[in-house]
Amino acid sequence: MRKLLRMQNLERHYKTPAGTVRALDGVSFEISEGERVILLGPSGSGKTTLLNCLSALDSPTGGDYIFLENEVPRNNSEKMTSFRRENIGYVFQFFNLLQDLTVLENILLIQELSGNKNPSRAKDLLELVGLEDEIDRFPGEISGGQQQRVAIARSIAKRPTLLLGDELTGNLDSETSNKVMEVLVGACKKENITSVFVTHDEGLVKFATRVIRIDSGKIISDEKIGSSDDGF
Amino acid sequence: MSNLLNKRLARSLWRTKIRLIAVILMVFVGVFAGITFGGYAHNLGNMYDAMQADDEEGANLADLWIDNRSTIWTPDQISNFCESLAHNWDLNTVTPLSLDSCEGRTITQGAMFYSNEDGERIINSLWHGIPPDANTDRVWMPKGNSEGRTAVAADEIVIDAHVTEALNLSIGDAVIIGAGNITVEFSLVGIGYHPLHVLMAPEGSLFPPESGEYVVGYLSDTGMARLTGNAIGTSNTIILDVEGTPSYDLPDTQEYEGIEIDAVKMIVESTLNDTELDARVRDRGQNEPVEIMRQDLAGAERATLPFTVMIASIAAITIVLSLQRLVQSQAKEIAVLRTLGVRRSSLMLGYLIAPLAIGGVGCALGASAGPWGMNGMLDFYEDLVGLPIVERTVPLSIYLSVIILTMLVVFISGAFPAVKASRLEPLEVLSGQSEMRIGSNNLRKITSWMPTALGLSIRSSVRKPIRLMMTFVAVGISLMLFGSIQMMSAGMEDSFLGGLEEDQNWDIQVYIMPDAEEPVLDWAENNSADYEIIIEMPLGLVTDSEDIERSFNLVGLDSFQSGMRPISISEGNMPNANGTLPQVMMDEGSMQFLRWSVGEKHTVKINGAPQDIEIVGISSAELARTMYFLREDLSGIIGVNATSIYLQLSEGVRVDSHLGEISTGIVERQTLLDGINDLLDQQTTIFQSMMYLGLLFTVVVMFNTMIMNVAERDFELATLRVLGASTKSLGLMLLFESLLIGIIGGIVGVLFAYGGAIGLAASFSSWQFMIPVTIVPSVAWQLMAGVVLISVLMTPVGVWRLRRMDLVEKVKDLSQ
Repeated sequence: MRKLLRMQNLERHYKTPAGTVRALDGVSFEISEGERVILLGPSGSGKTTLLNCLSALDSPTGGDYIFLENEVPRNNSEKMTSFRRENIGYVFQFFNLLQDLTVLENILLIQELSGNKNPSRAKDLLELVGLEDEIDRFPGEISGGQQQRVAIARSIAKRPTLLLGDELTGNLDSETSNKVMEVLVGACKKENITSVFVTHDEGLVKFATRVIRIDSGKIISDEKIGSSDDGF
Repeated sequence: MSNLLNKRLARSLWRTKIRLIAVILMVFVGVFAGITFGGYAHNLGNMYDAMQADDEEGANLADLWIDNRSTIWTPDQISNFCESLAHNWDLNTVTPLSLDSCEGRTITQGAMFYSNEDGERIINSLWHGIPPDANTDRVWMPKGNSEGRTAVAADEIVIDAHVTEALNLSIGDAVIIGAGNITVEFSLVGIGYHPLHVLMAPEGSLFPPESGEYVVGYLSDTGMARLTGNAIGTSNTIILDVEGTPSYDLPDTQEYEGIEIDAVKMIVESTLNDTELDARVRDRGQNEPVEIMRQDLAGAERATLPFTVMIASIAAITIVLSLQRLVQSQAKEIAVLRTLGVRRSSLMLGYLIAPLAIGGVGCALGASAGPWGMNGMLDFYEDLVGLPIVERTVPLSIYLSVIILTMLVVFISGAFPAVKASRLEPLEVLSGQSEMRIGSNNLRKITSWMPTALGLSIRSSVRKPIRLMMTFVAVGISLMLFGSIQMMSAGMEDSFLGGLEEDQNWDIQVYIMPDAEEPVLDWAENNSADYEIIIEMPLGLVTDSEDIERSFNLVGLDSFQSGMRPISISEGNMPNANGTLPQVMMDEGSMQFLRWSVGEKHTVKINGAPQDIEIVGISSAELARTMYFLREDLSGIIGVNATSIYLQLSEGVRVDSHLGEISTGIVERQTLLDGINDLLDQQTTIFQSMMYLGLLFTVVVMFNTMIMNVAERDFELATLRVLGASTKSLGLMLLFESLLIGIIGGIVGVLFAYGGAIGLAASFSSWQFMIPVTIVPSVAWQLMAGVVLISVLMTPVGVWRLRRMDLVEKVKDLSQ
């Protein structure tokens, strides 16, 4: 499998009045195409900071971040946005769908902003996440689980190389969480998308091919569970 | 606990200090304007009272004027009339008021032959003959603001203070004047004012020429006899003073107030019949120079409340929107406090105190600066009208009424967000339910064909319809301040200046004594000047549908199209000589006020005598009420062939002293145009500060709304940024939203401005002068473009906010 990204000795330090906070302190790992990685760790361990660096929302203060053989831009808002537009999909904990747009329009908007509007693909994606009957409804008219499935469809609508999610089932009950994860894994497989998710929930490990545990800004374990082609 | 809560709120408000300062500024301006206008009207009123007072200091303005400018009455006729009047008064049972005085006067047009280093000039003038022992309509000589004394001897004159500076005249100077007879030298013994000449406009005109282009002088009765060659006591005007001030009808009100003076007029009419005198009888409401200034004062008094309320309303809307936004942004904080057990009333108190504190600061600043604004306006009025306003105080009642009104508006505007804050349900807020809403299906259908980003912009813009509506109302009110004055001025300029500037083609108008046109026509022929004879007299009277007598100008022309004074017709035809009754055209304003139509026949009074006429046409909007006759018809009615002559001068021909001697006054068209332009400029200047305040408010209101829109969209803009939307594409979305709000705001603004202009014109319009309002396209476009520009200029603020958005922090917020 082709290597998708590599982080080498990555650091993200914050200066505060109380001193320097080492949110990430020399993190190194590689991720290959097709992997489904789960980042586990307690609060304040640095997992969200790592996710922010992966998505180029945040700029590391040290180390290397190579994505598809290219250095990922840092400290340049427009270049970082462009990197995200071309490579990254993102799923939020609270779905963050635009309330004034219908389910279908939420997906069309992202395609439009990426310069690749394709209504038939948007409808296919909604079918993929099981929401083909809800396309003209507003987010406020559907359940939380359904909203998260729309968010997943939205995040993969522009065919990202890497899909990221921060506590994406944190706002759902366990039954709905499992359903959402099933949909997500199915979609990633179908679209051949690599994924990295941050969670507290050990129960989601079963959907991953690899689990990285992090604490105090350092990787404390990196465990492969199975191949990316495994089912769940 | 409440103190800590209030401290928390104060700190939150301070975080949005630009908006806070803008709101305080608006309250300040509202109070400032209220006190400025209120104080201005109060002091102006005091000045008029002092001038018109029946005491040693005042001029004792007459209550009734009885005149006939096409004849002169002998001293015997005058004393006969006054004796009969006194007799009839004693016998009357209709009025309990007593007659103080009945006096004959001569008031005549004339010319001043003025010389300085630039040569000799003939200045159009008006001369009053006032006996030294006159009781009524005396010269007003306020202490410290006038010079010398009144004229007593036959060679003495007082010149109106409005012109002495421009003509560089001082006590002891010799002045040479004429009145269509001979030129006579007088010695200047005084410089003063007269209650009939506050506005220095020639009779029949509402526009004062530039300073020094029209002179009014006050001679003694013996001086007038010397000037006119008539016997002492010969008069063309009789003035009556009645005990106290009998109520008279105010033409700009709906009610009829003229019952007391009507009783007096009945006795006067009966006495005129007994003594066989033809004359028009006018009370203060019908005497234009007096009535115009009263309406000017009434307008200033009336303007205080609407201007204060308009500005306070804009401030109120901004306060409502700002506090509501604050409540919204603090929803979670409030929910936490409620969960911790803070009472609704404790929360509400802070949100009620906040607008009061904001209002208090604004009021204190406005009240401190108000007298300064009032003095500025009074100074301006002194310059404009040329009258001294010595007493300058702001009564406590004005301070109190303006501040109480403003604080009330401000308090009410704070109550709604306060109640909203206290009613937030902690569970709904903390679970995020309060932020969940369902989009509008109607909007979806309307915008479904558009690109999604465009559709989102539109839906976001109208997401808060009440707020949007309030914004448009605030923009509308702001533009009402700005645009209505602009529209009214443009309409006035278009109507009044256009005809005189573009259509009329005479160079000078030479006034003559009735039927004394031959010498002027000879002068014209000798100097190769084209001429046109006209009759122009302010001698018409008509009874309106509410039984009120209204005066109007009579104009007789030989031609309405090819002459030197073409009349533009808005409806009907030109009068012709073949009718069974004299055919006339009347101006649009008169037709509206009288509710007359073309084709109708009516009876009017001309020079006091009833006359049937047929209305065949309506002339386009004019400031003064005017009835146009064919000159031969009018001449047949009043027995006068001409009152003035228009002349077109050949190249190189100038007005000379001979023309001055054979005329009673000369007016140059260019001087008239300059005067009108000057007056329009001055009128506009009075309101200019208000106009620019309106513009400033538009900017502040739009800025406030756009900032709130962008701030509220932080959530979706951050989401889109995280998902990879570029600043450019989001900037375009914001631009479209700004454009949309700008265009709608512009349209609303133009409509408000038009409505405001109509309201303003209606409040200023009366029988004396009607102000037409037309939407001048250039003004409407300017307003539209202005609002669109303001809103579009706000887009960079949104983009700037987007650029400095900390996405890491936003993602944290989005995940909480």
